Amino acid sequence: MELQAIHKEPTSFLKRYVFSEDHKYIAKQFLWAGLLFLAFGGILAMAIRWQWAYPGQEVPAVGKLLLPRSGGVITPAAYQSIFTMHGLIMIFFAITPILIGAFGNYTIPLMIGARDMAFPKLNMLSFWFFVVSQVMVLASFGVQLGTAGAGWTTYPPLSTNVGTPGHGQTLVVAAVFVTGVATIMGSVNYVTTVIRFRAPGMTYMRMPLTVWGLWLTAILNVLFVPVLGSAALLLLMDRMMGTQFFIAGAAGGKGDPILFQHLFWIFGHPEVYILILPAWGIVSDMVCFFGRKPAYWYKGSVYAMCAVTILSAVVYGHHMFLTGMNPLLGQGFMLLTLIISVPAEVLFLNWLHTIWKGSIRTTVPMLFALGMIFVFGLGGLTGVFLGTISTDLYLHDTMFVVGHFHFTMAAASFLASFAGIYFWFPKMFGKQMNQTLGKWHFWGSTIFITLVFGGQMIAGYAGQQRRLFDPYQYTFLKHLHPLNTYTSYAGFALGLFQLIFIYNFVASILSGKKAEKNPWQVSTLEWSLPSPPEYHNFDVVPTVIRGPHEYANPDAIKLLGRDWLSQTEILPEAGAVAESEVTAGAAE
Amino acid sequence: MSTIATLRPHQREEQTASVGMVVFLASWAMMFAGLFFSYGFVRSRAGAWPPPGIPVLPIALPALNTAVMLGSSLIFSLGLRELRRGNVRAFQRALSVTIVLGLVFLALQIYVWQSVSQAGLHLNTGLYGSVFYCLTAFHALHVAVGLVILMVVLARSLLGKYSEHNTISVRLCTMFWHFVDVVWILMFVTIYLM
Repeated sequence: MELQAIHKEPTSFLKRYVFSEDHKYIAKQFLWAGLLFLAFGGILAMAIRWQWAYPGQEVPAVGKLLLPRSGGVITPAAYQSIFTMHGLIMIFFAITPILIGAFGNYTIPLMIGARDMAFPKLNMLSFWFFVVSQVMVLASFGVQLGTAGAGWTTYPPLSTNVGTPGHGQTLVVAAVFVTGVATIMGSVNYVTTVIRFRAPGMTYMRMPLTVWGLWLTAILNVLFVPVLGSAALLLLMDRMMGTQFFIAGAAGGKGDPILFQHLFWIFGHPEVYILILPAWGIVSDMVCFFGRKPAYWYKGSVYAMCAVTILSAVVYGHHMFLTGMNPLLGQGFMLLTLIISVPAEVLFLNWLHTIWKGSIRTTVPMLFALGMIFVFGLGGLTGVFLGTISTDLYLHDTMFVVGHFHFTMAAASFLASFAGIYFWFPKMFGKQMNQTLGKWHFWGSTIFITLVFGGQMIAGYAGQQRRLFDPYQYTFLKHLHPLNTYTSYAGFALGLFQLIFIYNFVASILSGKKAEKNPWQVSTLEWSLPSPPEYHNFDVVPTVIRGPHEYANPDAIKLLGRDWLSQTEILPEAGAVAESEVTAGAAE
Repeated sequence: MSTIATLRPHQREEQTASVGMVVFLASWAMMFAGLFFSYGFVRSRAGAWPPPGIPVLPIALPALNTAVMLGSSLIFSLGLRELRRGNVRAFQRALSVTIVLGLVFLALQIYVWQSVSQAGLHLNTGLYGSVFYCLTAFHALHVAVGLVILMVVLARSLLGKYSEHNTISVRLCTMFWHFVDVVWILMFVTIYLM
């Protein structure tokens, strides 16, 4: 393991607040950038739900401003753009920066006892590439013919010049490429940092599960984001250089649109695990931190996450059962897909076992973690129907799919993100968030998330297709209007409850109660530092002597009168022996 | 990990940097893997390969180019060895030869494109033309970017920036150059030979 030197905090404004190389500051930059786009993507979601409840009616308040030509009514082209950009923004520009950019940057060095990332400059560049991609996305709304409209999956031939001729689509595809480069830069950093900068004694099997989740995510990002890059590259060549990879059929070329689907899903399936592995890691730690018990079968959780990481690379075909794939190949993909439920089940049971008979503290992060377990359970169970060919043939391209991936990728990642924000907020900003408001936010979010995505699933099971401009254009779908309207009400309520969070977040930064060093009484390394930590994190790089989940240790209760031990702390009795080896850095 | 503790700081830094570079190159390799996948996919779904009426690709010049690329890679790593021994002049000579060979590679590559294009294979000549130009051009782009970096390294070396105690940047460059080399060999085998 390499020891890092202590660097002085730079004093110039630019190096401190703009092009900062401090992982903690970059984390905050990612958090703000992600939260702003989360709000943006959320507003687009409200517009989608408006169309489902009141198709053809004027969007209240902002309609006339945003859609002046149609008098505030959502047009077919506008609807295409709205759901396309909702998906792309949420996945690449909201959840990714929050879950991976913010938490990855913030927690990895602090939790493994490093002074910074392995390549701080690269880290800074990663954020600014990301900002460039966000600006490209925003710019795409301003060009002629509007922004991208080929769905978040950007399938050709719709996404070629024949289907979406505007520059908006080109800009957005290029933005996805640029954000991919930013992600790769960040992930190279995460992977290397964990390999090289773990503190003495911080073995792989003593790393907090949050770090495990983020590290495996980084590995998946490193390996599979470039494949999306190649797909985006070929599509851009088709749009700008006149190649003919995907232009086919009525469009007049001899290309092969299915090729894009392969490249997209080779990336796309690992991507859903990219978004859920950090969430799993965070939740695995939370249930232990606030269940006040060691995590049940820690190694099992690690192995399960590794197994999912490997399996995620070989199941992508289940997105393409309906593309005329060889049935034998389809069966192989089905089998591998269903095997994923085994490690997922291991994790799930480990969480339940950890909570079982624990002295649960219902803090806000714990509530969000429990909420995540609930919605992820629903999402995971309904995934089985989509992984099985015979049921997928019926459910493919219905709202059932939309409900399923929102439960897993959106609801679960979203709730775990909030668990993380509420949990690390005191360390990041040195202030405590309001717990009562946090609980309101939790109940509102979890209940209405379940109703929105549950409503989508029921409609989908009844045959409601996704991506229809007029959801009721077919007679057999007309009777679903009341159900979809209730789903929309739940969606609007979900949106309103986020206002509580916005207020709580901003007000706590401005005038929150000052946070102590270790307000949650947990054992991982970042809580042995002041809130917020010094620029170089650790004055003395700590020596780790135990795993991350030391709770309810009877010796600690007897000798110290508390139920937890820091990862570096020596019990008084055993101290005499180990004192010479461990000089400093012990917590408290 | 006691062995690492005995290393000097710049050696430890070099190790960390090369771990990072390996991870980065693995990532970039996946981008090329995506392109090779596209090639294989297109080819496996085509009735005949090359499609009827398409000019035959040359073999001699690309084979010569493979030798040029291999030679440059070899000479570059010999140069790194000289730098490690503190022989900066020999390193600079080797690096210059590497750059010249890289330029030769690009020139030959452009010549190949020209002759193929004159024979009637264009960027929009169906999937065959698209995939041929796209793969080779994307690789050539990496050679071009690599050459710019190598020229910067040469300039910095002439300014006395590198010695046997400061080899990190040079080592990272050799890794990148070998990577570009390996990708070319794979490309030569799949596109021209197979």
